[in-house]
Amino acid sequence: MKTLPPLLFLSLTVSFTLHPASAAPETKPLRVVTTTPDLAWFVEEIGGDRVDVSSLAQGKENLHALKVTPRTIVAVAKADLLFENGLSLESTWLPDLILASRNKGLSFESGGRVNASEGWAPIELPSTLSREEGDVHPGGNPHFAISPEAGSFLADRVLAGLLAKDPADTKLFEANHTSLQARIAKAHQRWERYKPLFAHQRVVMYHLEFDYLADFLGLEILASIEPKPGLPPTPSHLAKVIELMGTDNVPPILVATWSNNRQAKAIAEKTGATLLELPSMVHGEPYATGWVEMIDGMLEAVRVAYGLPELAPEEEAPGQ
Amino acid sequence: MHGFRLLFLTAASLAVASHSPTFAQGPAFSTPGMAQSSSQTTRFDNTYNPAIGLMFDVFAGYHIADDKNLDGFDASLRTGEVTLSAWVDPKAWAYGVVVFSDEGVDLEEGAVHYVGFEGNETLRIGRFFVDFGKQMQAHEHALRTPNRPAVLREFLGNELGGDGIEFDDWFTFGEDTIVRYSLGAFQSLQPFAREDGPFASTPDRPEADQLAFTGRLTGFSSLTDLSTLQLGASVRYLPDYSFTDDTNALEATGLENTVWGLDATWGWTDETNTKSWTAGAELLVNDGALSASVVEPVPSTFELAVLNDTAIGYYVFVDHAMDRFDSLGVQVSSVETAAAGLPRLDEYDLYYTHKLSEFQRLRLALTSFELGGNQDTRLGFQYTVFMGPHSHGVNF
Repeated sequence: MKTLPPLLFLSLTVSFTLHPASAAPETKPLRVVTTTPDLAWFVEEIGGDRVDVSSLAQGKENLHALKVTPRTIVAVAKADLLFENGLSLESTWLPDLILASRNKGLSFESGGRVNASEGWAPIELPSTLSREEGDVHPGGNPHFAISPEAGSFLADRVLAGLLAKDPADTKLFEANHTSLQARIAKAHQRWERYKPLFAHQRVVMYHLEFDYLADFLGLEILASIEPKPGLPPTPSHLAKVIELMGTDNVPPILVATWSNNRQAKAIAEKTGATLLELPSMVHGEPYATGWVEMIDGMLEAVRVAYGLPELAPEEEAPGQ
Repeated sequence: MHGFRLLFLTAASLAVASHSPTFAQGPAFSTPGMAQSSSQTTRFDNTYNPAIGLMFDVFAGYHIADDKNLDGFDASLRTGEVTLSAWVDPKAWAYGVVVFSDEGVDLEEGAVHYVGFEGNETLRIGRFFVDFGKQMQAHEHALRTPNRPAVLREFLGNELGGDGIEFDDWFTFGEDTIVRYSLGAFQSLQPFAREDGPFASTPDRPEADQLAFTGRLTGFSSLTDLSTLQLGASVRYLPDYSFTDDTNALEATGLENTVWGLDATWGWTDETNTKSWTAGAELLVNDGALSASVVEPVPSTFELAVLNDTAIGYYVFVDHAMDRFDSLGVQVSSVETAAAGLPRLDEYDLYYTHKLSEFQRLRLALTSFELGGNQDTRLGFQYTVFMGPHSHGVNF
């Protein structure tokens, strides 16, 4: 016992010196980290200048397998509040990232961690939980944030998370939330007008991440290029998809930036289908500068891909 | 009378049980003098059980060697591994790794991470793979190549696990850089010894100054949104160990050995996180008693000759992930082996890895070894499957 105690003592001393307990001044904005740029957009809209928000994903990644970097560890370590998509979309990397960051404030119980999907009614709930069905999510399809129906819900979830952590700024948050909800409601009316255009249309996707969009537009999902979620396509499955797509009225293929790969391109070439790259998150495409802009851009891009007529100009309500 | 006594005993037992203090979520049934226990909510409830994972690593290789004894197929289930992980309480989590192999069943790791400090400190206690360089914390099936690089095998052994305690801490520089350091003290950290040579061991009951020590300092930085650089320095110090040759009842004691290491790893991923390039290198210096061999200076008189020297070795690699499922790479390792004259072992790996899914992996690897003019080339096929949660207590 001659060497160990001094070494440990030295380590502990160095460590406590480098991590002095400090409380953030009250005037400092809330440091918020989100897993997706979508959530960051909602936080920024509602939090205004009372939040300092950053997103771990930048917009084009496959969110199932985000790579952790020093920057993401530091961001999580310093965060007062973390918003995640939930429905196990980030389950392969977020729990370990939080553990590595040692940020003990980021727990659901303390209000430091908010699951944005809590209360959402997901589609595609698996009837059995087995890897025989591929990389299925036990809570249902997690890509709900690109549903045009999700805006109002996400705004409410973000408001609740901010209020629980920073009640002193309730007035500002509620005012911003009201104004955002009005903006979303107006946009939603516009998006509803797309629905009749897509009657009896079919669609093919690479991964089941645009299902909520298809659900909103009433598109029939003819096939996905992945034979099962998370599995790479096999030649026999690709042949089956090509056969299903046929030669007449060939539906477009929807892909995200990360899934715009050679298999999708090969099927598009073989069938003459339009290959349409859509954002799976805000900043996923140049037009997706915010969540409302992303949905606007997606619907318009899908309409063009189907060769459907433009929407008639919106009628301004009197007094607007 | 008998019925009355039974009723009395039952009532007394219930009274004792209902007034016993309840520890954690343990059963209240504990009579005075009985050891306290804590467990699940009830005896038949699995709610708080550890998460269990299972892994199989199968390897098949075909050798073309100058030594004709090595020629031919070599196929086996290398390891079957069961991992268990759970939170102990809010301040600690623990994991265990039980490995089934041809050598038997072994608890390779069983450790608790105490994370209840105010800052980023962690105390790891138990049996675990030491924090040395970029690869020694990882089990063999988790590496990019079927086997650990030659320099690590030669200087530290195929796996470097020990019973001990390790303190770990990290802090940030700005928004993009993390610096982490660790210090470990081990009772049993076995030195490397050749399978056909004298057996190496550390003292059974060491004094503090006979404990083995490890240390690591590493900086990990985001260079851009898409690229990172990690630099590190590691040391493993064995202050006192011995070589024993049972056949001739020979022993060399009081030996000392230090292995120093420097590592650098650069990584880049594209903006979709599906394509990547990774390049890295580790340089190691092995200093002190390296090995021992039985010599016969005069007929029928045997001695244990210890090789005290300084050997150097390294490995470098480049790995490219072409998409989510396919990657290929090349690795070169060169090391001065622990034998008289420090003959050099050169190893070249070329590999291609294909993930059938997140949970199944195929690898094709061509490995060439050259030692003292003898060559051995092996075409290997590795198949690894993961079921359930799979994790080890690995630090960045």
